[in-house]
Amino acid sequence: MNFPAELKYSKDHEWVKTIDETTVLVGITDFAQSELGDLVFINLPQPGDEVTAEESFCDVESVKAVSDVMSPCTGVVAEVNGELEDEPQMLNEDPYGAWIAKISDVTAFGELMTAQEYEAFIAK
Amino acid sequence: MSELKRTQLYDVHVAAGATMVDFGGWEMPIEYPTKIVAEHLYTRHACGIFDVSHMGRVLVEGPQAVPFLQHVLSSNVKALDLNQAQYAIIPNERGGAVDDAYLYRFEEERYLLVVNAANTDKDLAHLNEQIKAYDAKMTVITGEWAAIAVQGPKSKEILQILSKGEAITEPVKNALNTLDFGGHTVRVAKTGYTGEPLGYEVYIESAGAVWLWNRLIELGAKPAGLGARDTLRLEACLPLYGHDMGDDPEGKEIPIFAVPLAKFAVSFSEQKGDFIGREPLTRQYEAFKRIMNRDFSDLAALPRRVLPITLLDKGVMRAGMPVYKGDKQIGFVTSGTMVPYYRHEGEGLQTVILEETAKRSIGLAILDSDTLEDDIVQVDIRGKRLKAVIPPYHMRVDAPPFARPILYRPEEEENAAASGDRTPKALELIGKALENHVWRQERCVNLIPSEMTASRAVRLLCASDPSFRYAEHKKVKSFYDADVFYYQGTEFIDQVEQLLVEEMKAFLGCAEAETRCISGQMSNTAVFSSLMDWKNRLDRKRDAKRLGYIMNNHIIKGGHLSAQPMGALHDYIAIDPVTERHALVNFPVLKDNIYRIDVEETKKAIAQYRPELIIFGKSMVLHKEPVAAIRKFVDEMGLETTIMYDMAHVLGLIGDYFQKPFQEGAEIVTGSTHKTFFGPQRGVIGVNYKKGDLKYGLWETIESRAFPGSVSNHHLGTQLGLLMAAYEMNQFKDEYQKAVVSNAKSFAKSLKAAGLDVAGDPANDYTETHQVIVNVGYGTGPEVAMRLERNSIICNYQATPEEEGFTASGALRMGVNEMTRFGFGPKEFDQLAQIMADCILRGKEVGEDIAKLRAGYTEMKYCFNENDVTSALNDLAKKSGI
Repeated sequence: MNFPAELKYSKDHEWVKTIDETTVLVGITDFAQSELGDLVFINLPQPGDEVTAEESFCDVESVKAVSDVMSPCTGVVAEVNGELEDEPQMLNEDPYGAWIAKISDVTAFGELMTAQEYEAFIAK
Repeated sequence: MSELKRTQLYDVHVAAGATMVDFGGWEMPIEYPTKIVAEHLYTRHACGIFDVSHMGRVLVEGPQAVPFLQHVLSSNVKALDLNQAQYAIIPNERGGAVDDAYLYRFEEERYLLVVNAANTDKDLAHLNEQIKAYDAKMTVITGEWAAIAVQGPKSKEILQILSKGEAITEPVKNALNTLDFGGHTVRVAKTGYTGEPLGYEVYIESAGAVWLWNRLIELGAKPAGLGARDTLRLEACLPLYGHDMGDDPEGKEIPIFAVPLAKFAVSFSEQKGDFIGREPLTRQYEAFKRIMNRDFSDLAALPRRVLPITLLDKGVMRAGMPVYKGDKQIGFVTSGTMVPYYRHEGEGLQTVILEETAKRSIGLAILDSDTLEDDIVQVDIRGKRLKAVIPPYHMRVDAPPFARPILYRPEEEENAAASGDRTPKALELIGKALENHVWRQERCVNLIPSEMTASRAVRLLCASDPSFRYAEHKKVKSFYDADVFYYQGTEFIDQVEQLLVEEMKAFLGCAEAETRCISGQMSNTAVFSSLMDWKNRLDRKRDAKRLGYIMNNHIIKGGHLSAQPMGALHDYIAIDPVTERHALVNFPVLKDNIYRIDVEETKKAIAQYRPELIIFGKSMVLHKEPVAAIRKFVDEMGLETTIMYDMAHVLGLIGDYFQKPFQEGAEIVTGSTHKTFFGPQRGVIGVNYKKGDLKYGLWETIESRAFPGSVSNHHLGTQLGLLMAAYEMNQFKDEYQKAVVSNAKSFAKSLKAAGLDVAGDPANDYTETHQVIVNVGYGTGPEVAMRLERNSIICNYQATPEEEGFTASGALRMGVNEMTRFGFGPKEFDQLAQIMADCILRGKEVGEDIAKLRAGYTEMKYCFNENDVTSALNDLAKKSGI
């Protein structure tokens, strides 16, 4: 399993990529997609939605079940990856390329880990 | 998870990296690293294997095993023949389901009952309580035998490698067999929970389970977990206990008749006595029938039913989500997920399954019983109301070897015929008809065994005046059986019919002939109707009894459609009250030559069933039918069986080179006049009853079931043409029949020598008729036949006795009759065989070769070609303006 060093990780299995001080890209980790199984649907947030750290802002559905995706930060949805609506399997195939949302005006982050810490976290 | 049970294959799943979950107390693979979607798709296009060893397996035996099973199951166990399986529900006293189950009869005296893993303990407690009243015992063998489901279009060929070519089961659902796979005895059922038209469940003693699993993977199967099993069964609309059966999301018990499969699983046969749940099930069934007739006045016994549901908006339905119609909640989703499928393009037989995949959100829902197909409903998906529809089904399996996803699409309105001047259309039609005529008559080699070009004389006569007339007539006893015509102007027509009857009697070799039926199928219908009428002639004050038992050739073993319950027998065959199926028994066939009837086994079947009617005759016919041997046996047994020979395909072969049915003991012969006979398209009935015979009354009934029973207008133009054809046949039959049979044998040998796989017995040169059958490979028949058509070789693809249906067919059926009439001999058929081998085996385009071959043979033989006949025909054509 792959955990790029330049990303930060939440305990709810989202990754965060910093674009500038108040803007990030958010997606789900390789571990998350593997646990969820084949993803078949994503319920994306709307641009303009205000999101809160460690609260659900999106949900993904696998063949088996629906799972909430928690926001790793507090801010405003600036952009969503609309391609995922038609091809949710991109989340399985390329979890770090398939970003879910760009969040701007970030005012706070939830608890985040480095790649190493996250790897240790999921090994538990 | 230490308290969880493990199957014989647990270690294999773990080693394969499967995600293991608790399923009904068993530690089972939900998916392998391949994941659910890929496992689902692989099963649909190739072959998935599933460990189903967790399912409860119970042997039931003892003197009262059958009465016990009749009492505890919803199905009619008496209807279960050896090597057959049936779906059943274990009902409770309220008409709800304790569980659903499959009952297998691999052995004469022992039944195998397979139940859901999660319910096994509950089921056993229930069954153990019930069995106390019976002299029968149950043995749980879940630990001793493993079970592997092998499902998908490649499943048969994979298993056939393990069986060393031996047929796995009869190619019909629910057939069973016991086989040897590499020294292991296996019990195989053509059953499954994926909806695949080709799918098997294999039972093997525990010690062999891992070996079999690994061999299947080596041969190309891939493991699939419970996740794919769920999406596959959902696509097939198969219910899952605990979701679509048992209790609904509100905790209310789902009545058995709410489940679509109930109408197959529940029997109210008298044989079942007072089985558990009979009374509430009867009430449910009455409600079910009302609902099917759209009478929703009393839904108390069946307020809701489980129906398929398709989400039209984007999203995924899940079990438990409420379903609304307008503001009213009408039920719940009971099963739902996103299911993958392969896209396809093209239409009909040209449909191509693409590699590209997509997904759709489908499910099953328990909905108010007044919900109709195509109703638009809304599903509440986490607070949002999304649009959904009730489709008729999610998938169809009537075009094997593939299960075909059916995507919901509303009916398109048909275009009304455009208005305006029809003259251009008339001209276009004439042009196209000419084009077609020239193509079929001058460029094509026609090998359809059921077709024959009629001579010019026959064609001209068919089109001449009587073709617009009526000539209803009937024998009148008051006039000493003279025929009385109801219309004037019919003297010529009367003579024609009398002459035709005499020619036909001479040809068939029988006492009486009826020539008014306008097709072979109509001839059969008239005969079956007459037999039933004759049976009931002394008691007309109650509903007429239907015919039964009837013995015929099974449709998949070459039987003629017109002699099947789905054909002309439909309204005349009884239902056996014990089996609740048609009172039909099929001729057993030889194991080493499935195209030939097994006479000794047939005698046993006759002794057992004492059929009222035996129907010989086939549409895929390579051999003579054993009429004389069966006649002798029936007479020795003293049975009042009527022996009939449906000679539709071989009518023109009656004689020295094939069979003389009446000499061999047939009483009734029917035929169509345009296959091996010289056309035009009509039917004929011959009987050998003579005045004074008891059964002469049956003959008189046949006449009245022809007219007015079947036809009012008996198509006088083609009747006139048929008289000419009968003259031709009686004049030329010796040379023609001899040439047909020897050409067929010669063609078969040439095809074989050219490298094609010719069916039949080499000892008879593969055929004794006009037909030759070539195996081109499972499921490839339609493609090969279409390729040949592009190259102007017209034949038809046909399922062999080992194949599931016409789309899975791997054989070509060919007849030499028409080309023989155009002068082909062994040399030309040998050339044709080479050209066909080039096209079939090497994919060569051969249209030009065929046109060249055909060009030399456009003049018809075995008809009157003398100069005076030709000039008389020219005169007829000119003066009649035809």
